[in-house]
Amino acid sequence: MTMTGAAELGTIALDGARKTRGNQTRTRIRVLMLFIAAALVLIVGKLVTLGGTDTTANIEGRALDEITATRPAILDRNGIEMAVDIRVPSLYAEPNRMVDKPGAIAAILSVLPDLDENVLRERLNRDKGFVWIDRELTPAQKDDILRLGIPGLDFVTESRRFYPGGTEASHIMGMVNIDNKGTAGIEARLDRDNVALLQDLGFARDRELSPVSLSIDMRVQHALRDQLEDALSRYQAVSAAGVIIDVHTAEILAMVSLPDFDPNAPTSFSEDWLDKKNQRFNRITLGRYELGSTFKTITFAAALDSGAVKLTDSFDARFGIRFGKYLIDDFHGKHRVLQVPEIYKYSSNVGTIKMMQTLGSENYRAFLTRMGFDDPLKVELPETIVSVIPEKFSEVGAATASFGHGLSVTPLHMAQAVAALVNGGILKPATLYPRTSAEADAIGTRVVSQETSARMRYLLRLNALEGSGTHANKLADGYRVGGKTGTAEKVENGQYVADRNLNVFASAFPVDDPHYAMVILVDEPKPENQQSGVTAGWNAGEVTGRVIARVAPMLGIRPDFAATVDAALVPPELGRPVVTTDKDSTF
Amino acid sequence: MIRVLNIVLLVACGVGLIGVYALKYQSEGVASRRLELQTQIADQQDQLSVMRAEWAYVTQPGHIAPIVRRHAESLDLAQIRADQFISVDALPMRPAAMDPDALTALLESLDAGIDPIAALIEAN
Repeated sequence: MTMTGAAELGTIALDGARKTRGNQTRTRIRVLMLFIAAALVLIVGKLVTLGGTDTTANIEGRALDEITATRPAILDRNGIEMAVDIRVPSLYAEPNRMVDKPGAIAAILSVLPDLDENVLRERLNRDKGFVWIDRELTPAQKDDILRLGIPGLDFVTESRRFYPGGTEASHIMGMVNIDNKGTAGIEARLDRDNVALLQDLGFARDRELSPVSLSIDMRVQHALRDQLEDALSRYQAVSAAGVIIDVHTAEILAMVSLPDFDPNAPTSFSEDWLDKKNQRFNRITLGRYELGSTFKTITFAAALDSGAVKLTDSFDARFGIRFGKYLIDDFHGKHRVLQVPEIYKYSSNVGTIKMMQTLGSENYRAFLTRMGFDDPLKVELPETIVSVIPEKFSEVGAATASFGHGLSVTPLHMAQAVAALVNGGILKPATLYPRTSAEADAIGTRVVSQETSARMRYLLRLNALEGSGTHANKLADGYRVGGKTGTAEKVENGQYVADRNLNVFASAFPVDDPHYAMVILVDEPKPENQQSGVTAGWNAGEVTGRVIARVAPMLGIRPDFAATVDAALVPPELGRPVVTTDKDSTF
Repeated sequence: MIRVLNIVLLVACGVGLIGVYALKYQSEGVASRRLELQTQIADQQDQLSVMRAEWAYVTQPGHIAPIVRRHAESLDLAQIRADQFISVDALPMRPAAMDPDALTALLESLDAGIDPIAALIEAN
């Protein structure tokens, strides 16, 4: 029985037992609901606070993930590591958690004596949650610090880029900055392609990315660099560069430009070279040169492919050609009527100009475009430059261009063009990534016919056997090198300087079934000894010969000394090799 | 009837409590073991990355070449020449098989005290 508040007023309300029980239950349910609601509010509140807390670890404003971000290993075509990540411990302190700061300073200095005590004290006395003490320690130093047992010190594992080859492939690798971002070379390219994206998405954090393979062959790269270094001292040249590409796939096997730098020490890039600044750039893709007589190879291909000139034709090279006040004559000229192969062999400027004039200067200019000289390089390096070729040739401009003056291209443009002229006539853009011949064919464009390509192989070989390429041929005997020299006077302050030459040798080997094309540059060479000359055959040519003798066995090229190989290169219209009695070589 | 049910439920509760506690305790152990292993893996990966870099460094052609040059003289090493490569066809044939009859005859004559080779040398 329960009395309600109305009892005081004298009225008594009597509820039945069943009703009373019903009221009781309702009250209990209400209380229970209240409890549940309170519990729910607590849970939701806790969730909100949890959601608000930042769980990502921050170090000086940068996420911890960013510091431990990895980059993919870079391998050469045979799996030799060219760039790897090393994970190294870096020491940091949380000063507000440290107890005995002077004691800690003394202890830290006992392990890391190279640290500046004052700097360390200043850092530890800052009222901050985080300060770096030393970055990139050795595992042994880390163990020593841990053994000290100082509270408030801890390690974070950073990824650091390491190039095992050091300077070997510096221009290809490029470099990364302290935050592991690529700033030059293939490293910068990788970032642009995908690594930066992967790192942003968090895929590259603290875990391994699958390695990236390049088309470079480190053995060939080393041999080429070794020989170019030898050339620098042998000919006292100011710089030297070279590139080797596969003619069927246009893969770059080796690319060296001296002076170079050590990607492990990025500051070495800005060091002076022979008291000059900014000399350590990649001359193969970022250097643009007048390649001199090597360009005659292009002119010959243009003339022969058009059908306007045949190998059996002859041109009068008795006199120089006059353009207004300019007289163009031959260097060591024969001053007689020369057959086309002889013009090539003796590197006759007059003969070449006449061949170009038979073709027509507009056709010649169009051919240069077709050979890709106007296109920017497609190679996967940020450091590239475009060619400088006049839109339209004047009469004299076309004449000088036919033997490689008045237009400048990169050595890699030249290597691509030589590859196209010997591989059957298909121009393929050079690449640093591996690809198959079929893939290269799919993106290649036919620039000359099969027949023209066969004739160019003959001319290149002829020049190596009897012309200016004999030095190269002698040193690489058996590997059937074919190539053309170029000796260009350097332009300084808008004037050609006679005693400063840039010497070039553009070649292919083995020429009967070409596999590789090579361009070698030697800048301002001096004679090796009293008997030797300074034209390209003596330096760039010799370097080519030595490089081939070293790399051909690695690349699986079988030497062949049979005379039938050279005889088979002679095109049918000539029937027999051009017989000559005088064997002196020109440039 | 209800009392029996209550007792059964109470016992089930108790068992459940002990079970959950044991499971929690066990999972804490597993978690700490996991952390331990993770640290160990990270440590070993760090060491591996250093060792891999070292291996890449010592197997680099640019690293091996100076060693080869240094020992070229003592080991009689030289760059391979093109004329040192020959095809299989150019290899000389295996020498003709020995003539057993001639050998027997020679041994017999030696036994008999006549040395045909010495005779040949003397004759010249």
